[in-house]
Amino acid sequence: MANENDPIPSPGEPAAAAPAIEAPVRAEEGYQIRLDVFEGPLDLLLFLIKKKKIDIQDIPIAVITREYLEYLNHKERINLDREAEFLLMAALLIYIKSQILLPREQPIEPDIDPRKELVDRLVDYQQIKAAVGVLREREEEQSQIWRRAALTAPLPEEDLDLIEVSLYDLAESFFTMMQRRQDDNLKVIQGKELSMGDKMNEIVAILKECDFLDFLEYLGSHDSLEEALLAFFCLLELIKARLVVAIQEQLFHTIKVWLRKEAPLAKVNE
Amino acid sequence: MTEQLPRILEALIFISVEPLTAAKMAEVLPEVPPEEIEQALRDLVAHYEASDRAIRIIQTAGGYVFSTKPEFDPPVRKLLQIERKKKLSGQALETLSAVAYHQPVTQAEIAAIRGVDSSYSLHTLLENKIIKIVGRKEAPGRPLLYRTTEKFLTYFGLNAIEDLPSAEELKKLMQEESA
Repeated sequence: MANENDPIPSPGEPAAAAPAIEAPVRAEEGYQIRLDVFEGPLDLLLFLIKKKKIDIQDIPIAVITREYLEYLNHKERINLDREAEFLLMAALLIYIKSQILLPREQPIEPDIDPRKELVDRLVDYQQIKAAVGVLREREEEQSQIWRRAALTAPLPEEDLDLIEVSLYDLAESFFTMMQRRQDDNLKVIQGKELSMGDKMNEIVAILKECDFLDFLEYLGSHDSLEEALLAFFCLLELIKARLVVAIQEQLFHTIKVWLRKEAPLAKVNE
Repeated sequence: MTEQLPRILEALIFISVEPLTAAKMAEVLPEVPPEEIEQALRDLVAHYEASDRAIRIIQTAGGYVFSTKPEFDPPVRKLLQIERKKKLSGQALETLSAVAYHQPVTQAEIAAIRGVDSSYSLHTLLENKIIKIVGRKEAPGRPLLYRTTEKFLTYFGLNAIEDLPSAEELKKLMQEESA
């Protein structure tokens, strides 16, 4: 599937032609339409259903397929990167239409109606659209009220009011470090025997000595990728065992690791 | 004590930057029955609403916190030198709705609901800490599962996830709209 936000024209496509794709296309009825005002094919289908005042539970598939294809035809070209999903839906509509056209010995039963799956998706999507409306309204309301937090100065170092970080933050931190170091001219040396137990003991020892550890700095201090990875897993393991705590003082700040005061230290040595 | 109670709670909320829960207040005031605290909170909130002051107490993410009233948005923004608050894009809001109503949910499930790939929006929402990863689904490929966060609640001024309109209420909204 294409990235919905990809602004880069597909390779081989002349850059100058790109604006033409976004330009409004005049439909026969005299109104203007752009595919990119729709969030996706379901959005376009809902728009057509509303326009034609069609009952969503009983969609005349021939009518809607014709309408839908007309929209696509009005575009001189399809940007596959951004609009592949629209084509996929066109294929689905034509498929459903062909299913209905096929001669049958018995009339179509409601629960094996070839349209059913699409209708269910449309109903679900309609609900999401309604929820978007509600959220947008609330967002607007909330954007006009302010809480005191907005003016608070950065927290002092020893402040206890810190945010505990998620796995996502830790992973992101790790990738930042990897990116920083990817240009380093690292050499592969003789494989070393690494043990998680030793590494965890090492981390705990450092923490006992230095109070806290800068997560990023610590990972970066390793010579090989294997060691850095091992250190990363050890930290996750220690966090999971609740022996240490990882804290990010503020958004985008580095993550620090502390020893939990109440931690049962003996466990590490097991 | 009962007479002082709303003022005590007012002081507690005033010094709290994050929403202060009724449970926390009860912890501070063990001698006061929780119902009395609830009642005093309702009185206090109503009192601020009725007053012609610029601040009010709002209930959000399960707690109470002071905020300005909407009509004072322009001067506050000027003081903070904020042109306007950043808003979520249409795509991000759609993705977020899909997460909020189907959580815990995988990226593939969201894409199926929306009919378009949603990885970019998911990333934006994760970075803004409006959603979070809560684990993996026991399904082929063990895909990541997403949920909304507490920040989601505060961002939209919701007290709890149940405050979102139910599927039934949304249906009604849609009917009104098409009527």
